[in-house]
Formats: sequence, structure tokens, C-alpha cells
Amino acid sequence: MKSVIPREVETLWTLFTAPTVWALHFIVCYVVMAIYCAKPGIYGLGFNDFRWGLVVFTLLALGFIVFAGYLAWRQWGFGSDDPPHDAATGQDRRLFQGFATLLLSGLSFVAVIYTAIPLIILAECQT
Amino acid sequence: MCDDRLTGRSRPTRSPVNCRLPLAVLLSGLGLSSCTGVQSALDPAGSEAEAVATLFWAMVAGGGVIWLIVVGAVIYASRLKKKPMSESGASRVIFFGGVAFPVVVLAFLLAYAVWLMPAMRPWFGGEGEGLRRIEVTAEQYWWRVRYLDSTGAVVRETANEVHMPVGERVLFLLKAKDVIHSFWIPSIGGKMDAIPGRTNALQLEATRPGTYRGVCAEFCGTAHALMAFSVQALEPEAFEDWLAARPGEVPVASVEPVASGQPRGLNLFLRHGCGSCHAISGTPADGALGPDLTAFGSRPTVAAGTLPNTPENLARFIQYPDAIKPGVRMPGFAMLPAADVSAIALYLKGLE
Amino acid sequence: MTVELGPLLTEEERAAQEKRLRDIWRTPSGWRYWTSVNNSQIGLWYGCTAFVFMLFAGLLALLIRLQLAVPDNDLVSAEFFNQAFTLHGTVMMFLFAVPIFEAVAIFILPSMLGSRELPFPRLSAFGYWSFAIGGVFVCGSIFFNAAPNSGWFMYPPLATDKEQSGIGADIWLLGLSFIEVASIAAAVELIVGIMKCRAPGMRVNMMPLFAWYLLVVAGMILFAFPPLIAGDLLFEMQRMFDWPFFDSARGGDPLLWQHLFWIFGHPEVYIIFLPAIALMAMIVPTFSQRPIVGYSWIVLAAVGTGFLSFGLWVHHMFTTGLPQISLAFFSAASEAVVIPTGVQIFVFIATMLAGRVIFSTPMLFGAGGLAIFIIGGLTGVMVALVPFDWQAHDTYFIVAHLHYVLIGGMLFPVTAGIYYFYPFFSGKKLSDRLGKIAFWLMFIGFNVAFFPMHFAGLRGMPRRVYTYPEEMGWDWFNLISTIGAFVFAAGFALVLLDVLRPKRNVPASPVNPWNAGTMEWLNEKDENWGYRSIPVVHSRYPLWDQPDLRQQIAEGRFYLPDAETGHRETLVTSVLDGKPLQVLRVGGSSKVTMVAAFMLGGVFISLTYEWWWITILCAIGTLISILYWLWTGTAQIPETENRNAGMGQSFPLYVSGPASVGWWAMFITMVGDGTAFASLIFGYFFYWTIHDDFTAGAAGPGMMWPLAAAALFIAAWLAMMAARSVNDRDRTATTRLLLVLALALTLCGTAAGFMGPYTHDMEPTRHVYPAVVWVLVIWTSAHSAVAIIMQAYCLARSFAGRLTGTYDQDLRNVVLYWHFMLATAVGTFATIGLFPSLR
Repeated sequence: MKSVIPREVETLWTLFTAPTVWALHFIVCYVVMAIYCAKPGIYGLGFNDFRWGLVVFTLLALGFIVFAGYLAWRQWGFGSDDPPHDAATGQDRRLFQGFATLLLSGLSFVAVIYTAIPLIILAECQT
Repeated sequence: MCDDRLTGRSRPTRSPVNCRLPLAVLLSGLGLSSCTGVQSALDPAGSEAEAVATLFWAMVAGGGVIWLIVVGAVIYASRLKKKPMSESGASRVIFFGGVAFPVVVLAFLLAYAVWLMPAMRPWFGGEGEGLRRIEVTAEQYWWRVRYLDSTGAVVRETANEVHMPVGERVLFLLKAKDVIHSFWIPSIGGKMDAIPGRTNALQLEATRPGTYRGVCAEFCGTAHALMAFSVQALEPEAFEDWLAARPGEVPVASVEPVASGQPRGLNLFLRHGCGSCHAISGTPADGALGPDLTAFGSRPTVAAGTLPNTPENLARFIQYPDAIKPGVRMPGFAMLPAADVSAIALYLKGLE
Repeated sequence: MTVELGPLLTEEERAAQEKRLRDIWRTPSGWRYWTSVNNSQIGLWYGCTAFVFMLFAGLLALLIRLQLAVPDNDLVSAEFFNQAFTLHGTVMMFLFAVPIFEAVAIFILPSMLGSRELPFPRLSAFGYWSFAIGGVFVCGSIFFNAAPNSGWFMYPPLATDKEQSGIGADIWLLGLSFIEVASIAAAVELIVGIMKCRAPGMRVNMMPLFAWYLLVVAGMILFAFPPLIAGDLLFEMQRMFDWPFFDSARGGDPLLWQHLFWIFGHPEVYIIFLPAIALMAMIVPTFSQRPIVGYSWIVLAAVGTGFLSFGLWVHHMFTTGLPQISLAFFSAASEAVVIPTGVQIFVFIATMLAGRVIFSTPMLFGAGGLAIFIIGGLTGVMVALVPFDWQAHDTYFIVAHLHYVLIGGMLFPVTAGIYYFYPFFSGKKLSDRLGKIAFWLMFIGFNVAFFPMHFAGLRGMPRRVYTYPEEMGWDWFNLISTIGAFVFAAGFALVLLDVLRPKRNVPASPVNPWNAGTMEWLNEKDENWGYRSIPVVHSRYPLWDQPDLRQQIAEGRFYLPDAETGHRETLVTSVLDGKPLQVLRVGGSSKVTMVAAFMLGGVFISLTYEWWWITILCAIGTLISILYWLWTGTAQIPETENRNAGMGQSFPLYVSGPASVGWWAMFITMVGDGTAFASLIFGYFFYWTIHDDFTAGAAGPGMMWPLAAAALFIAAWLAMMAARSVNDRDRTATTRLLLVLALALTLCGTAAGFMGPYTHDMEPTRHVYPAVVWVLVIWTSAHSAVAIIMQAYCLARSFAGRLTGTYDQDLRNVVLYWHFMLATAVGTFATIGLFPSLR
């Protein structure tokens, strides 16, 4: 198990993991549907094939965000200490990063679900 | 027929006093709900406009409450509270006010609005052959309107006026000749852009017979402000009658003495080259550059909703189009004798 | 936490240090004042210039309101009206809202972060001059009846039509492209400044929130502005050379412009809004007399907004006839972005709830702005719903919405900022009494002006109409709006009056008049050195928690208390923990930045009028001045390896690769550049989606030449990599040989790239397919031309003994450029060579 879950890394980039997943998910949903609607029947597939494909992709994205959120939670010491995390120590700096990353994972999770709402409701390329 | 409401040169038919009073505007947003007009999204006469107006008022109510609560919280926090709240309590305010509440409310709102889209404009498939189709081409600065039959052939062509049956979904096929325009009849439904090189489809359903006004909503050049059209929502039978009428197939009703078998106004119209841009069916005038003038006399307005359709206004427009409508493509005919111009105007006004 | 302070010096020693510091940081006097590059001067000029443009655009707005006050008005002509509203929008967005944040950031950020100076002061100066020249050029056009007249989003085909849009469209495109250069320069400056130039000890969890916001905003600029630059390029190619990118008759599509414009345009709104909220995040804790509650939540909100704002652009295109499902995705993101925005508001409320609030003038403007902004936010929720937007789009409802957002979310907070920071640079407070009157005039005037517009819009009034008929029932709404606009303007005039009036009788305020907690309030307004010595920080609010800080700084007991080496120096620290790493020498006063900006301005302005020879001369002038600037001002080999920085520590003066600020500047610039390239590639595939056969049966560039070009560029990149590693081992001759080889390969690759479309007779004016292939090849060639100049520059540096195994900044930065060069070349040639046969 230890080999699967990445070690903690000292970088600011992890902050952006979950929003980046949101961005990728969003772009893929938009581009796939835009291409399908512009070129219906591409690869011999129908609207529903793409739609359910994207729903599966949504679940994957959500899973990835949850995973990123878990890593953030771990960096946050599993909530062992409350904010504001404002002490001039490396420990508080890490806790702050963990907490902010966790919050961003939550926001990205919600945003991905919002993006998926049209996939559930709409069934055609209608203008 | 001349409907002044469409150019706004006369009083609107139903305009309650309270929306004309500045005080009412300032004090009471709700007082505005009764604001009516031939071009008001808040005075719906179409299924889409009704759904949107309802959604709007619901959101105004909800938004008003939210605004009061948040601004109240700001005032309470900054001016009224007796002692500071604990940090954990304040953090809970962030979570519940800034996260939990919006996440839930917005999810429902979004789902409803997404559901509403196909409910208002359902799937029609293919080219919309099953629906009544009207092809509208937007040009600087007027509207070419063609009624199509189920095969796509043009049944009737007119300009700057739209006739549609009540209680039936109509598919407008929107094209643009030169720049981007946007076709909007606020009373009946939302707008749709007309974009060169594309054909956009807009479904609208009128629910109340009446006369309405549509405009170009996308900035399209100098005379963008003067690019309106009239909308007649007719009972289905009345609409079928209108569509079946073939003005021009019967001899032109003349108000002027006939010379060489043609009305004098038509003679002048043809002699001065008007026919190279304008068509009048049943006559040699067959130009396609400008608006089709067949049955022009029955149109409510001159110059795409700019002036009421009277012979005087028409004559003025023929003489000085650019003064009435800056940027208009029609050349002025101020060099013609005034008598000739009014003969042409009278002739056109007589085309029913 | 204890810090080993430097020794306490005698009065004389301190005075000697101060004199040396003062000398080296001195602001030049006389006309040379304008050659200053110090952040205090640049920030001030930037801010004042932006405000002048704002007043100009405000006057245009009043003219617009006068024209619309009564129906069928003929105060101004339709043509003038169209120029006026186009310029109003353009100037407010491009010449005020974005630059004012750059101004505030450049002005305050170094003090806030505990740094002497931003890392690239000359770049800031260059950005300022570019902005000023471009702005005057754009604004001036209206006095010659030559202003752009197609609306600030310049939709083709109206704006590509030379007869209908005239030279105004070229002025817009080229003038603003020039200003976008300034914005990207500022973004580079701010990102590197915030990441690397903080006070020692200022870890990322202690950064002032203003810095967090600015970091996000600068990052957004990198992804938002380049698509517009790419769009400008296509647009200008169509206007100048008739390449049909937006001409539907020849396979183009006006919607591509809308996509590119709004990919820029929507993030732009948040680029404007976030810095203003950042000001509030400084003001609210000060007047709540406590640290902010929910620091991490603000970071969430800023970063979250930054990301989500890129998923909103199509909500400006809800009525263009895109499939409902596409619209719905963007509706979803538009609703999602409300969440972080709401969080920010509730963070302020929570902070006030948990504090003891002093309701000062800045707070009044802040709270009033909030009340306005929330209405704009709520109407934003409405228009983000597709069915509602189908009605509201392009009406006065939108005009109301956007002014509620921008004035409530930006102008009011900025005015709060003026009241808050006025003592920061003048040492005196503005009048509370005038401030209150001004506030109420502005607040009431604003609402009277803009609230009725919601209803005018839903009652059918489209935006951008120069007149309207009397009986539509819009006359009262409009008359009230006009009256409100003048009341609002009177309020702002009062603010201006208060700022400008002589204040001889106003008592000087204390250095930290509001008892704020953040470092900028240590500022000594009469000194240009930023900090007497660069302090060690161990709190989010150092002035509240480190009571001796001011004195210790003044005694010179922290880092770099002296300038005995005769250079302007500041400290570079690590990204996460603010550990000091390097003493960075920054550029001092210089004419070269101004010359470069004027030359580049000459390029853009003469392009507008298609004066080709002047364009070429100015381009050469630009190149020479930039090369001179780089040669004399960057990667200078220091006299010693390490510099004693005080407090018993010394740090290197020269670092290269990822440790250096220059490497990061290159990286950031190239990320922006890559975004522009991605936008062009997006355009290529966009044309593929809208046509059954996007080549329209025309011949493509074939496979051979593009693949040959790609291979040559790969070889050139390998040669550059080899040159770097050989140089590491100080083998100078081999390094030079490899550089020459790489240069030759680059030339061959560029030629091969040209051969593809050239040998297949692709005529770019015939159809959009050849045009888009050519534009990708030209984009790549322009980059390889820069690459060749860089390779030649490295060779020259090597021969001049300024590039060695140890001192290799230049080479490392060029190799970094080459990574992006490679991606651009391979992306281009793989796309144009392989895609036509793959599809």
C-alpha cells in the first residue's frame, strides 16, 4: 500500500492538483460533446455512448479528487490541529498547505458534480 | 394598417401609471412587475417568456432575501454587535454561509435551469421539417422574412414584419448576410444570434394573440438602434388566411391614375430604378438587395421599425434615408421632384 | 522564535551605511526623474496614468448618459456614440481596471513582502512606458474621429470590415496588443516577486493575503491574455492581408474570435475583481483589529476562482446557437464560481464578527462596495442560467449587472484603498468628512443610475443603442439613470478633489495611522530604499506581534544594511519557507527601458498605419535596445562569489538555472507564450470541427517537409542540451561548436517548415485552411528567429567571456526557451503534417 500512495512532497504545486483535475474534466466534457455535436455519428457512436462515457469519466475524476483530498487531509495531520496555522514553523506551513489543499479538493469535487449535471439531464445536441 | 405602438410614436396600449413614475421605479421593484409593453420580457405572451419571467421573479424574491441577510450581517458585524464572536463560531459562519448554503441552492437552481432548456426548446430533429418554419435573414439594418412550406420552398416573402400563429411552435431559421445580428422578440421568448455562414434555429411559441415588437440585440453597426420589426401573433385560422393570401397575384389596387396600364407611382418607382433593389410581386420590380415591398401598405412601419407607416414618413425616408436612419444602405432620392416622391409613397402605401 | 540580530552599530557607522544606501537607491532628479525604475516611482506613475484614463472614460460615460437621457435625442451622432461606448468599455477594462492593480501591486507589494524591490525593476518600467504609450494612442483616436466603433469585444465581421470599422479597429488591435505586453511583463514580475523575494521567515502560510491574490491574478494573466494576443494576430492578418480567418465565405468563422476573446474576457473580470478584494482583505483585518478569520479559506477562494474563471467564457455566447449541452457545461461552471466568491464575502463578515470594528471611511467604501457587489453577484447567478440569459443577454440588464460587479467589486474597494493607503505615500490622511459625503453621493448616485437599467433591459432595451423611441416606456428609466450617473460622478469628483487639494494644514499622520499589522506600514515615505535593513518575519501580522521590528530595522540590524558594493541589492528567499538564498542585484535607473518601449510603440503604431519602413526601423531599434539592456544589465558576473549580507551570513551573488529569478521569468513568459500557441492550435481544430472537409479540397503542406522540419528542430534542441552539459564541464570550444551547429539546424528547420506550404502552393487568402497552416508556420518561424538571436547572443557572450561553466545563466535560460521552442515546433509540424491524413 505504501508504494501506491505517494510520499509527502515539499512543493506548492500540490495545491493545484484538484482544480487541475476539475479543469481537465471540464475541458474533456466540453470538447467531446462539442466535437460530437459538430460531427454527429463520429466513430459510429451516438449521443448516449458519449454521455455515459463522460459519466464514467466524471466518476474517475471524482475518485482522483477524493484521493488528492486524502493526501491533503494527511498533510493536514488528519485534522489534528485547528486553523489558523499561522505559526512561523515548517509544521504550521505544512498544515496550512494541507488544509488549503483539502478545501480546494472540496470545491473541485462540487464543481465536477455541477459539470456533470447536464450529462444527466440533457439527451440531445439541441440548440 | 398602421400600428403606432411599434415605432413608439404613440402611447403603449397598457401602461399602468405606476411604472412611469420615477418614485415607483426607485421605491418599488415589485411595482414594476406590472410594467407592460409590446417589447417587454416581463409582460410575456409566449411560453418561453412566461417560464423565464416566472423564474426571474422567483430569483428576485430569493435574491432579495439573500441580499438583506448578507448586508444585515455586515451591518450587524460592523456596527451593532456587542462583543466579538469566538473564532470557531466565525469559522462556522464561513462554512455555512459561504459554502453549505450556496452549494445546495445553486445545485437545485442549476438543475432546474438545465432541465428548462429542452423543456422550452425541445428536440426537433433534422432540419425541423415537422415544424412551421420561417427563415429570417438579418441584413444591415433590416429583416428579410420568408415563410417556408414543409419542403423548404418559400411560400411568402416579406420584410420587417413577422406573422406567427398562436399556440404553435414555430421554428425560426436565422441567417445573416453581412455581420452578426440577434433576433429577439422579448414578449415571446429569448434571442438568438444570426451569424454569417451559419443557420441558427430558434423555437418560439406565442400564447397570446397581439402585436409585439422585436429588435436586433447584437450591435451590428451605425444604425443598430434602428433595426426593429413588428410581430403579429394571430389565431391559427387568421394566420393561415394571411399566409394563403397572395398579394400581387391580384391586380394592384391603385390610388393614383393609371398611365399605360400601370399606376403612376409604380411607373416612377420603376423609372427611378427602385425595382433594382426592391421587389413587388405582380410587377416588373424584382430586385433582391433591399426589402421586398409586396403588400407594403399593410406593414405598420417604415425603415425597420423606425417610423410609423404613413405616406409622409415614407416620402421623407425616400428623400433623406440617412438622416432618419444613419448608416442605412439605401441611397437618398432628394433630387427627385417632391411630387414624384409622394406619388411613389402613395403607391407603396396603397399596396395591401 | 529568536533571531540572531546583527551588531548594534555606532551612530557614525549607521549614518555612513545610510548614506551609501541612500546614494545607490537615489531617485534621479530633473528630467532624469523619468529614467527611474524604482517600484515606488513606477507604481505611482502607473496608478496616476490609469486614473487619468479612467477619468477620460468616465467623461465618455457621462456623454453616453446625456445622449440617452431623453428619447430620440440628437446630442451626438450615431457614429460618435458608437465610438464613445466602444472606447468607454475598452479604456475602463484595458487602461484602468487591469493597470490599476498592476500599479498598486508594484507600488505596495515590495514593502508588504519585506523586500527592497521587485526582482525586475527595469521590466516594470518597460511595462509602464508601454502602457502609457499604448493608452495615449488608443484614447487619442477619438479626437480624430478614428476611435474603434465596434464595441469593446470587436466582433467580426463588423470589426473586420475595413469600410465599417476603419482605422479604429487597427488602433484597438495593435494598441491593446502593445498594452497586453505590459500586462504580461507585470505578471512575470509579480509572480517571481511574490515567490522569491519575500522577507526571510515569511513562509507561504504567513504571506499577506494581498500577495496570495496577486499571485493567483498574475497566474491568470498568463493564461488569459495570450488567447487574446493570438486572436489579435488572426484578426490583424485578416485586416491587413485578407487572410479569411473570420470570413465565412472562405471557410472562416466569426465565432472563433468570440471564443478567443472570451477565453480572455471572462477571466479578465476576475483579474479585475480579485485584486480589489485583495485590498479588502488587507483593510478588513486592520479595522476589525484582529487577524483575518479563515486565511486558508481566502486562499481556497482565490485559487478556486482563478481556476473556475476559465470555465465561464461561453456564457457570453449563450445566444450564438451552440448546442444546449455545451451551454449547460458553462452554466455549471458559472454557478460553481459563485461558491468561492461567496466564501470571500463570508470571510470578511466572519472577521468583522470576531473583531472589534472601527467603522472608518475605507470601511464605509468597502461595505458599500460589498452591498453593491452582492447585487451584481446575484444577477450574475441569474444570467449564468441559460434560459434567463436568452432573455437578458445583450440588454441593459447586462449593462446593469456588469456595472454592479465592476463598480461594487472594483471601484469601491479601490476607492477604499485610496483612503486607506493615502497616508502610506503622502504621510497625511484624507478628510473623513469629505469622504463620507463622497461615499453617499457615489453610493446613492450609483444605485439610482444602474438599478433601473435592470428593468429597462427586461422591458426590451438592447445595449449599445444610440437612441430609442419615446413610447417604449424606457424614457423615465433612462432619465433617472442619467441623473444618477451625474450624482455618482460628483461623488467621485469629490474624492479626486480631496486627493489633489493642497494639504499644508493637514497634520502629518503617524507612520502606521490605522494601526495595521502588515509590513507595508513600516514604509519610510521619504526613503527610496524600501527597507533600511531587510527584516526577519515570524508572524502574519508582524507589526502586531513583533513590537521591536521597526526599531531593529532602522538600526540596520537585519539583512543587507549596507550598500558598500555600490549595487542595488535585495534578498532572494525560498518559495515555501522564505529561507534566504541569494543576494540579487537589480537594475537601477536607466534610459534603455524607455527607449525600448518607445521603439516597440513605434512598431505597433506604424503597423497601424501600414508604414512598413518605419515599422522595420522601429523593430530593429527595439531589438538593439533590448539586446543592449540584456547585455549590460543581466547575468553580470559579480566581483566575488558570495556577499556578506549581514547578520553573520553570506549568500551567493550569481545563481543559475531554476534557482535564479531569470530562469523563472523565462519559464513564466514561455507558459504564456505556450498558451497563445495552444490558442492557435485550437483555431486549427476549430475549423476542422465546423466543416465536413476543412481543407476544402485544397492541398495541404504534405508530410515530408513538416516532418523534416520537426526532425531538424529536435536535432537543434538536442544540440542545445548537449551545449549546456558540455558547458557545465567548461569545454568552451565544444560549447561554441554545438551552439553554431544548433543555430544552423534551427535555420534549416525554419526553412523546411516554410517549404511545406510554399511548395504546395498554399495561397492564404483563398481559404482559411491554407491561412491557418501558414499562421502556425509563421508563429513557429518567429519563435525560431528569436531562438537564433538567443543562440547568437550566447555565442557572443561566450566570446566576450561572460558565459562560462560557472556563470551560465544565459545558456540555461536559452535551453529552457528551447524546451518550449521544441514543443511549439513539434506541435506545429505534427499538426499540419500528420492531421490531414489522420482525420
